[in-house]
Amino acid sequence: MNYDYGIRLFRRISAIGFLILAGSLFYYQIINGDYYLRRAKNNYVRVIPSRSIRGTIFDRNNQPLAYDKAAFNIAVIPYQVRDRRDFLFDDIARYLKCSSRQLSQNYSRKFQNLFSPIDIILDIDKVTAFKVRERFGEDIIINPQPQRYYPYGLSCSHLLGYVKEAVAFYENLKQYGYAPYERVGFSGIEQYYDTYLRGEDGGDLIEVNAKGKIVGFLGNQNTQRGVDISLTIDYRIQQIAYHCLEGKRGALILMDSKNGEILSLASWPAYDPNNFIKGKNVEQYLIGILKPMHNRAIQSTYPLGSTFKPIVAAAALEEKKIAPSTTFICSGEMRIGNAQFRCENKHGQENLYQGLAHSCNIYFYNLGLLVGKEKICEWATRFGLNTLTNIDLPYEKKGIIPTQDFLAERQWYKGDTLNFSIGQGYTESSPLEIMCAINVFATGGYLTKPKLLKKVGAAASGDISMTNIGLSNHTLEIIKNGLIDVVNGADGTARTLKPLNLDIAGKTGTAQAKGGAHGWFVGFFPYHNPQYTICVFLENAGSSYEALKITNTFLEKLKEQKLL
Amino acid sequence: MIHTLQTQAIKNPITSIIVCLLFLSVVSLALLYSSLHQGGELKDQTIFYKQIMWLALAWIFFIGFSFLNYRLWFDFAIILYILNILLLIAVELFGKSALGAQRWLDIGGFSFQPSEVSKITAIFILARLFSSPDAKGLWRGIAVPFGLIMLNVAFIAKQPDLGTALILIFLFFSLGFFSSLKKRYFVILLLIALMASPFAWNHLKSYQKKRLIVFLNPNVEPLGAGYTIIQSKIAIGSGRMHGKGFLAGTQNQFNFLPERHTDFIFTVLAEEWGLLGSLFLLLIYFYIFYRIVEVINYLKDTFAQLVLFGIAFLFFFHVFINIGMTLGILPVVGLPLLFLSYGGTHLLVSFTLLGVFVNIYRQ
Repeated sequence: MNYDYGIRLFRRISAIGFLILAGSLFYYQIINGDYYLRRAKNNYVRVIPSRSIRGTIFDRNNQPLAYDKAAFNIAVIPYQVRDRRDFLFDDIARYLKCSSRQLSQNYSRKFQNLFSPIDIILDIDKVTAFKVRERFGEDIIINPQPQRYYPYGLSCSHLLGYVKEAVAFYENLKQYGYAPYERVGFSGIEQYYDTYLRGEDGGDLIEVNAKGKIVGFLGNQNTQRGVDISLTIDYRIQQIAYHCLEGKRGALILMDSKNGEILSLASWPAYDPNNFIKGKNVEQYLIGILKPMHNRAIQSTYPLGSTFKPIVAAAALEEKKIAPSTTFICSGEMRIGNAQFRCENKHGQENLYQGLAHSCNIYFYNLGLLVGKEKICEWATRFGLNTLTNIDLPYEKKGIIPTQDFLAERQWYKGDTLNFSIGQGYTESSPLEIMCAINVFATGGYLTKPKLLKKVGAAASGDISMTNIGLSNHTLEIIKNGLIDVVNGADGTARTLKPLNLDIAGKTGTAQAKGGAHGWFVGFFPYHNPQYTICVFLENAGSSYEALKITNTFLEKLKEQKLL
Repeated sequence: MIHTLQTQAIKNPITSIIVCLLFLSVVSLALLYSSLHQGGELKDQTIFYKQIMWLALAWIFFIGFSFLNYRLWFDFAIILYILNILLLIAVELFGKSALGAQRWLDIGGFSFQPSEVSKITAIFILARLFSSPDAKGLWRGIAVPFGLIMLNVAFIAKQPDLGTALILIFLFFSLGFFSSLKKRYFVILLLIALMASPFAWNHLKSYQKKRLIVFLNPNVEPLGAGYTIIQSKIAIGSGRMHGKGFLAGTQNQFNFLPERHTDFIFTVLAEEWGLLGSLFLLLIYFYIFYRIVEVINYLKDTFAQLVLFGIAFLFFFHVFINIGMTLGILPVVGLPLLFLSYGGTHLLVSFTLLGVFVNIYRQ
């Protein structure tokens, strides 16, 4: 029989088959060859990363505030346990009396590829680690790793921040050369000085087979230890500050008046950075309505209230609108048009010193009207309000004053000027910002940049940045005397601080706000040669009275422990 | 002039077939050696030596059957078919299980796989039935052969050996096209078979269903059923143009590929010898197919013609399905690679069929 047709058919079919196979081979081996070669390498080349030791953070007296300690993790290799993972996790969970769901969660969160070990249990003690190893043998791996530890947990939380693996924010971080599982500082000093602290991760490059067994060694890269840094913080003062604030909402800052070195910077409520390291119970922090993650000393701005008055007074003197002897009569209220503006008291006839000491609103309404909004804004800006203090912490927020730029189209009324001159309305700053402004009176006219870094390695970080804001000595002297009267005058608003015998000068503030007035005290001491500047801020505390109470306990304790 | 050219062209298929077979035997041993080689030593030596023995035996079969008059196959086609069915029943009763399937009979230390033999018996019985002059009617021409093949397929699918079962069905349809019966009957039957396939789905083993699902998307189960396909693609792709060299394939040597000495032997070749090696192998295969069908028009015996078509199609399906599945363009059905995979029965069957081809040519 003649099968020409059949032969042609077979040849055609087989030719098509040949072309399909050859085409697919070409597609895989030539077009995507490099991709598959990379995947093949991912299969058998394993980086066993070794974490670099991160730099230690010391306080000013070489007390460690954050350092790496050895932690033992338990890891599994996915491919090796692929057919019995759930059993194994259940067994381990039963053995260690933890939840196997947690293990599965860790597993799926950290999964990289089939052959890289995944830490399923973090940070257990050495003895337990080796017991687990004995019980589960080859199925698990003990993975010792440096782990960040914060001995003072809550009290240094906002100050130091914490570290986390970069992977969650990898898209943003990779441009800075971070590897996905490298630790990165988040918030606080850990973030701000990450470049010093991070060091360089290293590791071994090895060849493994499908069982994860090492079959060859390709090379290694040594880890590089991060650089240690020392802060200007005194951990004892920081602890006391933290405990004084405990249970309140607010911030307490103590600074060296002369060079801007921050001795303590506390904020409440706080969080325990160690929880972030272990990855547990952090939800409460992230969703808490009290915002414990928030550093109230620098990340929020609040209405200033009367703490703004010294700046208004300085502006009035500099603009030659008043002399210190200029008096106004306080009858407890002032009328502008139909609106009534009140004072806390009927102070009667008062000069500038008395106005400051009693924090008389009527006196400052009059100054406001004389000087005018524009000039007050100008001086407030010179005092560093409305600008960042540039402290070495991330996420600082700058304050507000009602400049033309800020107000844009909004109509400005005379009444607004009155509010402005007593630090209400559009007058907000962070506690650190107003503290630096008041510090100008302590330094003799210099705006000093606050700082936290004292030493990098062994080298002192010497930069002190001071700017003369152009106040005359005459003005400085007058305002300083006014601030001295606030504490030391017979009826000064902060007279409760006088028994401390620390020669304090300062200004109280009760700032109207939603949810209750904020309480302020900002001051410096000793006034004849200022060493320390302090700021206490309490959110919705009702009045400055609470802030004074905390200032009192704080300074008393410092005195007791001879820390001043 | 044309006539002489043609006679010359088919002058020496025997020599070239033998050269090809020799070459493939060497390649088979080299690939097996590489696939068993790990960490600088041959891991499973017995497998390697068994394969050498099987190859030797296969050559004896090849030579022996090239001298055995092929008409004997015609005479014994029905008896062989029945014997094979009996063997399949024996597998069902006493067979040995491996990898979740019961396919093997243990004979004196060697495993023997009757479903492979079905490929031979099916070719012969189909060739005999379709070449018969009284196969004109629907009954003798289509119903009887179809029934016989489906009986065979049923036993094999039961084991389960989906690959061989499919190959037999393909064989039925491809040989049916060359029978004297009108082709449209086969087209209708083919359509019915296609429509029936959803029902067949319900009778598949769960691992077979899984394979089909995974074929559509290997990433469904990267650790489970999809693993082989993913690793196989990585092995083939990473071979690129020139390959990584003998014993240097990382997917192979570091044991990332399961079943690589049997169904996935092609991945070893593609990884270590690259596109060039793979294409060379494909050319050899298709050269053999062409030499086989080339002979068909010079034959007067319809049975012999159909046998050669059967052999050519069987070989083609084998190569296409096997390589197609390693590339992930066809589902994993479990089919050895012609002449190269480890597996004794498969080698004997393939060499026997080539022996039959040589004999047909010589006659």
